[in-house]
Amino acid sequence: MILLFVSLFSFSVNSNAKSITLGWAAWDPANALQELTKEFTAETGIEVNFEFVPWPNFADRMLNELNNKGKTFDLLIGDSQWIGAGAVYGHYVKLNDFFNKEGISMSDFSPATVYAYSTWPKGSENYYALPAMGDALAWAYRKDWFDRPELRSEFKKKHGYDLGVPANWNQLHDMCKFFQGREIDGQKRYGAAINTERGSEGITMGVTAAMYAWGMEYENPNKPYDMEGYFNSPQAVEAVEFYRKLYEDCAPPGHSDAYMVANLDAYKSGQVAFQMNWYAFWPGVSKEDSGGRVSGFFANPKQNVAAATLGGQGISVVKYSDKQDLALEYIKWFARPDVQQKWWDLGGYSCHNDVLNSPSFPTSTVYAQGFLDSMGIVKDFWQEPTFVELMLPMQEAIHDYVVNGKGTAKEALDKIIGEWVEVFEADGKL
Amino acid sequence: MSVKKKFKGLSDKAVGWLFIGPTVLLLLAINIYPLVYAIKMSFTNFYANKIGREPQFIGLKNYIKVLNKEAIWEKMQVTASFMFWTLLLQAIIGLGLALLLNRKFKGNELLTTLIVLPMMLSPAVVGVFWTYLYNPQVGLFNYVVNFFYDFGSFDMIGSSILAPWSIVIVDTWMWTPFTMLICLAGLRSVPNYLYEAAEVDRASKWQQFIYITLPSVLPFLLLALLFRGIENFKMFDMVVELTSGGPGSATELASINLKREAFEKWKTGYSSAFAVILFVTIFGFGNVYVKVMNKIKER
Repeated sequence: MILLFVSLFSFSVNSNAKSITLGWAAWDPANALQELTKEFTAETGIEVNFEFVPWPNFADRMLNELNNKGKTFDLLIGDSQWIGAGAVYGHYVKLNDFFNKEGISMSDFSPATVYAYSTWPKGSENYYALPAMGDALAWAYRKDWFDRPELRSEFKKKHGYDLGVPANWNQLHDMCKFFQGREIDGQKRYGAAINTERGSEGITMGVTAAMYAWGMEYENPNKPYDMEGYFNSPQAVEAVEFYRKLYEDCAPPGHSDAYMVANLDAYKSGQVAFQMNWYAFWPGVSKEDSGGRVSGFFANPKQNVAAATLGGQGISVVKYSDKQDLALEYIKWFARPDVQQKWWDLGGYSCHNDVLNSPSFPTSTVYAQGFLDSMGIVKDFWQEPTFVELMLPMQEAIHDYVVNGKGTAKEALDKIIGEWVEVFEADGKL
Repeated sequence: MSVKKKFKGLSDKAVGWLFIGPTVLLLLAINIYPLVYAIKMSFTNFYANKIGREPQFIGLKNYIKVLNKEAIWEKMQVTASFMFWTLLLQAIIGLGLALLLNRKFKGNELLTTLIVLPMMLSPAVVGVFWTYLYNPQVGLFNYVVNFFYDFGSFDMIGSSILAPWSIVIVDTWMWTPFTMLICLAGLRSVPNYLYEAAEVDRASKWQQFIYITLPSVLPFLLLALLFRGIENFKMFDMVVELTSGGPGSATELASINLKREAFEKWKTGYSSAFAVILFVTIFGFGNVYVKVMNKIKER
């Protein structure tokens, strides 16, 4: 009996010593990573436990864990905006020495992803994460509907150009409106499922896709944190007004608090001609095309400039982990070009140059070229340690204007600047 | 030594303290200490997420900031409106249902059980399933409303005019049974001889209701409304699941805003001041209300 107890105890100690826990959001790429990680366990004997948190609670759960110096996670695939807080408040392990020791070079990864997911201060050579999952906001559309001759000719007659991938946001609006309320195959259809979610980051990620395309800058490039005339420039105001027009004219009924899953649902159920969403979802959408549905994908359309909202994450080692050595071993394995290729093959978005620059990459999937195009034009929200404080007033003010119809776009942007100034003042930046 | 012998020398008072001691300690640890700590924090510029930054004493600045912030008053207005309509509807419908169920009829017990079902559900679950009921395309709510009058498609939680009503409707649906149960208890405590005497005096049914039923049930109704008032002042989960405080800030109650300031923006000092203000408000109103209620009871 005693022997049995001792052997069970020693087994549990051993299994704990050779296991790590990785935290990420609960979505398709996380399942792909779980699949990929089986190879890591087979090679090293290190078990990897996963804790995937649904997106609406992801930031709350993970940031609370970090703020409380929790030891639940050894590895964390955190949002790009968290890198500032991760570095400044000491939540993430600085990886420079480890990269140097293991010969992992950041020049092997796409520069845009290294800048966005790994560095703090931005653009410096201080690395707190390895680019893990490249992503940007993009569009999917019902190619099967677009290919119908009767719809094509009706559209051309009305607008004077072909129904197809929109060249700019005005064309996107024309096309969305064309499908709004239209009956196709006996069912009423709508224009576009766009981001309108209020609680976390949804509507901000959506509206900035338009604002970036109109040429919005957050601050004076020569005077950091000077936002007046930049964030509320006439172009930015026009973009926000346009987003509201897109919502009013083209969203399906009840689409007033929608983000990733709601957009996917609206699209998959055949309600809408377009959906705005992250590249992370395109493998699933593409795979599930059935019953005549054929999906096409395109990068965020340009307006005044070509730009797209950045998504994606880097993988970091949590400073409070007792198993940093095992976690670093995982990062070393994940950085290998052959693992990165498998990552892409399984549905993850590798940021490794060997994968992205491969001649076969653009044609490897229907959305690969769009992904490449997008990653060259991405822009991100503030990555400051105070990004949550910066995000929330924007969520409220933009939702109030776009969905609630309250006030003007200029008033909404002015209000956001007012709140941001307070945040930067409290943080000693202004 | 037996327990009996051990306690033999203790006075009744000491034994009483021995019994309530653990509860008092627990109360001090989980209620009083956090309250005192929050009051202390409310005078500082503390941010719980800014590790290593020592909080500095800033006097009444947080209180002045909260009270001067227009957005805070907007949230208080939303909360006041939510409380007013839910309490009014729950009082009227709850009393009406109690009067109905106080009569003897076949199926009375089954109907009572069915009516109290909503209040047994989790508020978060209620919030989620009402988002489906309110869906303008497939929701049952739109279908039922349009069955009586064709309003066409309307979005209860996406419209700034309808969204505040959407949370009032759900809260009323969920908590009217509570008001009803308390009123029913009140109605059943009215002695029959009062009605018999009124009959002898040739009082009409309406007069019996005004002079016997209502005064008897009023203290019960007021008590139910006090509980509901305190609960609705703190309302959070159901509304978050239903509207997230939107559209914009149309349904952002004070408690939701407090949570966002405290645990999303991590403005610990500022949100502590806000919490203290909310606490004083509800405590003050509660005390006034109890005094009024006692006066009514004494009549």
